Amino acid sequence: MSYYRFETRLANFILYGSVIITLVFFYIPIATLVAFSFTESRFLTFPIEGFSLKWYGALFAEKNFLPALWGSLKLAFIVTILSTILGCAAAVAWMRFKFRFQRTFQALTFAPLLFPQLMLGVVMLLWFSILGNFFGFSMSLWSAVLGHVVYITPFALIIIAVQIHGFDDTLEDAARDSGCSNWEVLREITIPILWPGIFSAGIFAFLLSWGNFYLTYSLSGTSRTLPTFVFSGIANGSSPIFPALATLTFIPAMLLVGLADFFRRRAADRLKSGPTDI
Amino acid sequence: MRIKNITWTDPKLQILTLPLLVVLFLFFLIPFAMTVMLSFQITKYYQVVWSWDLTTWKDVFTHSYYWVIMARTLKMAMICVVLCVSLSLPVAYALVNRIPSMENHVKILIVFAFLADAILKTFGWVLFFDRSGVLNGFLEMLGFGPAASDILFTPTAAIIGMVYNLLPYTIFTIYLSMARIDRDLIAAAYDSGASKFRTFWEITLPLSKPGLLAGAVLVFVLGLGAFLEPKIMGGGTAPLAAELIRQTFETRVNWPLGASLTILVIGIGALTLIFFGYLLIKLTKLQENTT
Repeated sequence: MSYYRFETRLANFILYGSVIITLVFFYIPIATLVAFSFTESRFLTFPIEGFSLKWYGALFAEKNFLPALWGSLKLAFIVTILSTILGCAAAVAWMRFKFRFQRTFQALTFAPLLFPQLMLGVVMLLWFSILGNFFGFSMSLWSAVLGHVVYITPFALIIIAVQIHGFDDTLEDAARDSGCSNWEVLREITIPILWPGIFSAGIFAFLLSWGNFYLTYSLSGTSRTLPTFVFSGIANGSSPIFPALATLTFIPAMLLVGLADFFRRRAADRLKSGPTDI
Repeated sequence: MRIKNITWTDPKLQILTLPLLVVLFLFFLIPFAMTVMLSFQITKYYQVVWSWDLTTWKDVFTHSYYWVIMARTLKMAMICVVLCVSLSLPVAYALVNRIPSMENHVKILIVFAFLADAILKTFGWVLFFDRSGVLNGFLEMLGFGPAASDILFTPTAAIIGMVYNLLPYTIFTIYLSMARIDRDLIAAAYDSGASKFRTFWEITLPLSKPGLLAGAVLVFVLGLGAFLEPKIMGGGTAPLAAELIRQTFETRVNWPLGASLTILVIGIGALTLIFFGYLLIKLTKLQENTT
């Protein structure tokens, strides 16, 4: 065997091998949770005994579950809207304009990503308790919303900025030349073209906020979300309701990720095929 | 795309940037300044006393206990960076150059695994590694004794959990860099007789440096603040900085100490990044001089 063929084989072995290993690695805990959610036993031991859906019932019977679910939904929903709007505006300023202190602005918008999350939460916790003492309020979902917005907006910003990067602004000029007002250009050209980016940013923001533990843990006071509910639950010993909870939350997350990809690909196809009937 | 010059007096720029700037100022810059201020106070009977001196900082610098934890945290974060980067390089390379037809499917699989709830996934690992968990179940079927692997609640398990949760960051940043490399450069290297590994070493790797560095910095920073994986999978036998800070605030109710430890972690992180950044610039210059 020549050296060249040996090298090609070795490279293929490493490359395909690493992809397979990574995918297996990523799905080990996910598959484990899904498998255990159907157990009949109250002990989470392997091999799994029997098949039943009783832990799904037990999950809904748990009195803290529905408030936590509701808290998570509210939090993620508000954070998604705020971060996407703020991130979108900032991304436009990043990409389309040049202004004084632009570097400072860029550094500042990214700075929260360079903070370890728990420390970011702690730092904000101190500030909110001082404000709370002064104005007479206590930590609630709203302080968690602000924490999440500070942390998640940079992610939304990057995703939208990538979309703006491929944006052809002669389209806007064409619309303006054909007599569109600024508002019409925004509504008919700019937003539809940027929409896949905005949409993916929104889904990313939603799922990041939904799964965030560190910031919620420090900032939400007595209100519960699913991650803090799970954390306090597994600290008291593992109960079979948590695999059931995991399986239930994986399904909508999977659908959302698939949906974001569908929109992104459809937009890419449209760009490739050029203008169609409008 | 044209990039327009614009001044701060233009209402367009104000509308675009001011809302985010106000949020960051009120809920990021001010809190950070408050934390710095708080670290110069002391605590008495669980109450903060405004003393404006260095007592708390002296406390931090004289107790070796804190420094042991800081060193351990730094070590764990660095191990995570090395493991994540070395695993991500072949995966990102394969995504870009080997499996174009599967690229999107693999990417979606990774994004989903990344966005699924971190704490639940960590719990999944506990079930997998448990003494009577999936791994030991399989090992027993294969003829090993009962509870053959016993890595749950060790620092190794904590590392596995941390790498698991941080790996997507490096995969995606390196992937984005590699996807932008001009394929003609690689073809040119092959044409001039370079081997595959040499081409990777001399063309692909240097050109994917921006993504690699961005990913490494993200993983390092997130690794410094890790708390879930060491607590749930590491069993809390070897606490890291985040756990120490949480305890200082919650159990000991010593806010000035917690504030100074927070600043210490951030400072250690920043110094490490500056040190490696400096080293990298030096090395790049050295390389340029020799070639």
